Amino acid sequence: MTGKPQALDTTPRTPSVPGTPGTALLKAVFKPLASLRLTIVCLACAMFIVFVGTLDQVQIGVYEAQLRYFKSFFLYFTLPGSQFRIPYFPGGYTLGAVLLVNLIAAHLARFKFTWRKSGILILHSGLILLLIGQLVTSLFEEESQIQLDQGQTKNYSESPYFDELAIIDQSKPDSDEVISIPASRLIKGQTISLPVKGVQLRVDESYENAALINPNQLPSPNYPHLRLGPMAVAVEIQKTYKQNERNQPTAGVTVLKDGEPVGSWALSSGFPQPVQFKIASDPFSIVFRPKRYYRPFSITLEEFKHDRYAGTDIAKNFSSKVRLVDPSAHENREALIYMNHPLWYSDLILYQAGFGNNDQTTVLQVMKNPSRLIPYIACGMMALGLVIQFGMHLVSFVRRRVVT
Amino acid sequence: MFLHWFPSFFGSLIGEDFFRSRPARRSLLEAKRPGEVGSLLLVLCALGLAACNNENISVYRVPKENNQVSLQTGSGNLVPPPPSNPANWTKPDGWTEKALSEMRLGSFQVAGTNDETADVSVTAFPGDAGGVESNVNRWRGQVHQPTLEGDQLAQSWQEETVDGAPTIIVDVETPAGTEKASAILGAAMRTADRTWFVKMTGPPDLLKTQKDNFLRFVRSFHFSSASNEEKAQPQEPPTGQVKSTNDR
Repeated sequence: MTGKPQALDTTPRTPSVPGTPGTALLKAVFKPLASLRLTIVCLACAMFIVFVGTLDQVQIGVYEAQLRYFKSFFLYFTLPGSQFRIPYFPGGYTLGAVLLVNLIAAHLARFKFTWRKSGILILHSGLILLLIGQLVTSLFEEESQIQLDQGQTKNYSESPYFDELAIIDQSKPDSDEVISIPASRLIKGQTISLPVKGVQLRVDESYENAALINPNQLPSPNYPHLRLGPMAVAVEIQKTYKQNERNQPTAGVTVLKDGEPVGSWALSSGFPQPVQFKIASDPFSIVFRPKRYYRPFSITLEEFKHDRYAGTDIAKNFSSKVRLVDPSAHENREALIYMNHPLWYSDLILYQAGFGNNDQTTVLQVMKNPSRLIPYIACGMMALGLVIQFGMHLVSFVRRRVVT
Repeated sequence: MFLHWFPSFFGSLIGEDFFRSRPARRSLLEAKRPGEVGSLLLVLCALGLAACNNENISVYRVPKENNQVSLQTGSGNLVPPPPSNPANWTKPDGWTEKALSEMRLGSFQVAGTNDETADVSVTAFPGDAGGVESNVNRWRGQVHQPTLEGDQLAQSWQEETVDGAPTIIVDVETPAGTEKASAILGAAMRTADRTWFVKMTGPPDLLKTQKDNFLRFVRSFHFSSASNEEKAQPQEPPTGQVKSTNDR
C-alpha cells in the first residue's frame, strides 16, 4: 500500500527487551484481549443489538428497550410459561466492558510512547474516556421529575419509572425517618425484614400494574382484586411499556412487629395516600408512591406560561417561573426555565418537560449525571488526536512529495 | 490534482502500521507493574457493584412536611391552597375551620361541653363515588351498625333536595351499650358530575345538639354552574395527567 511492506516485515513483532515472568504471564492473558478481531466482533454485536433494540423499542418503549438491550449484561429469552430466563446474546454492558478492556489491553500490549503516535494515543484515550463516561452515566445517572401546581412547593422529585413502598417513622418531633422499599422487592409471599427493631413487612399480594376501578365495575364480586377503599379497588392488568403511561404497582401488605401483625393494607402507587398506624405507640405511616429523591432545596412554581401562536393552538413557548430556596446555601432566587434554558443548580439540571391541568401544572425534568462533562472532554480529545495524527501525516506526505 | 493526491495520502496513512513495535522501546505493559493493571480492573468491578444499589432498601431522614411548607413559603401558613371547588356553603356559628387535607374541601371542628368535640368534613368525588348505598353502609359499619339493603336501607335516611341536587341525610350511632359511643351525621348530594359528602363524627350527645346546625349547613350548599360547565368544555387531561412539551 505504501510501497515498503518489506521494511515492515523485517521489524521484530515482539520486543527484544526481556520481561519478568509476571509480565510474560500478563502478556499471555492480554494478547487475546488485545485482539483486533475481538474489537470487530464486539462492534458487529453492538450493531446487532442497536438494530434489534431499535425494532423492539416500538413494542416495549424507549426506556424498557434501553434496560433490556443496552443497560444489561445479556439479552434473555424467557421460556414460555415460566420465569426461567436463558441468556442468548451479550448485552450493552458486556459489549462495552469487553470493548473497553480490549482497547486498554491493546494500548498496554502494543502502543509505544512516541511522538509519531501521540495523536493515536490521545484519540484512543478520548475513546476510553468516552466509554468509561458512558458507563458512569449509565450507573449513576438519576432521572426524576418535579410536578408542581401553581404556587406549590416541593423539596423532592419523583422517579417517572420506579415506585417505592415508604414506611415513615413520625415519632421524632422535627424530622421523619423514611424506610424506602423498592416496588421490585415486593414479591408475593415474601417477608422483608426492615431496619427497624423487630419490624417486618409481609407481602400478601403484589401486582406489577393495576387498574383502579370502582367496586361496581368488578366483573363479579369474587374477581381477584385488592380493596383500596370504599370507592376504589385495584385489579391486576398487563404491565405497560407505553411512553405516555405509567405502571401502577399495587400490593397487599402486612406490617409485623416481633412476628405479630400490626396492620394489613392494600396500597397502590396510583393512589398514593398515606395510611397512619402505630407500632408500640410510635406513630408511623405507610404509602406506596413514585420513588422520591429529596433535595436540600425547595422549588416553588410562581407562574407557568403556555404561549401559542396567535389564532392557533400551536405551542410557541413553555416556561416556568420558579423560586429556588436553599437555606443551607443562603440561596433564594427566581429562575425562568424554558426551552434550551434549563436551571443548573448544585449537581442537577432542571428542564421544562411537560404541563397539564389546564396549564396550571408544570413538569420539570431533573437530571443528575456526575459524568456529564466527560463526553465533551472525550470528544475534544478525539478531535485533537485526529488533528495531530492527520496533521503529522499530511506534513510528512507533503514533504515527501516536495522531495520527489 | 486532488483526486490523485488524496488516495495517495490516505494510502500512506493506512499503510502505516501503528501497532508494530520497535525493538528499541518498551511497550506500556512492560513499563507498568501488574498491580497497576489490576487496580484498573478493580475500579471497573467497583463501578459494576455500585450499579446494583437500585434494588436495595434505603433509610433516610427528611424534614417533616409541615416544617417544609413554613420553611419554604416563609409565610408560616400550613394550609395548602384549597382545590377548585364549585360549591359555596355557610358555616354555622360556633364551628371552627380546620386545616384542609388533600381529600377535604372543607374541614371544621365543633366543640361541645365537657371538652367533647366533633369533626365535620366536606369531600367530593367524581361520578356517584361508588354509590350512595355503599357509602351509607360504610358509615353504618363505622358505628358498628349492620349493613342494610334495599328498602330497609332507603328507610334509614331522609331525602330532600339541596340547590337542585338530590340529597340524602343519614343519622346513625353506635348500638346501646357500646363501650365508646359515637355517632355520624352524614349527607350525600349528587350533582351533575360528582357526589358531595358532608360528614359529622363525634359523641352522640353532641351530635344531637348539633343536628340543626348540620342540616342548616347542608342546606346552605350552593353548587355553582361550573360543575355542569366542566362537562361542556373540551376534554383536558384530569389533574395528575400531564402532557410532554414535545407532544403536538
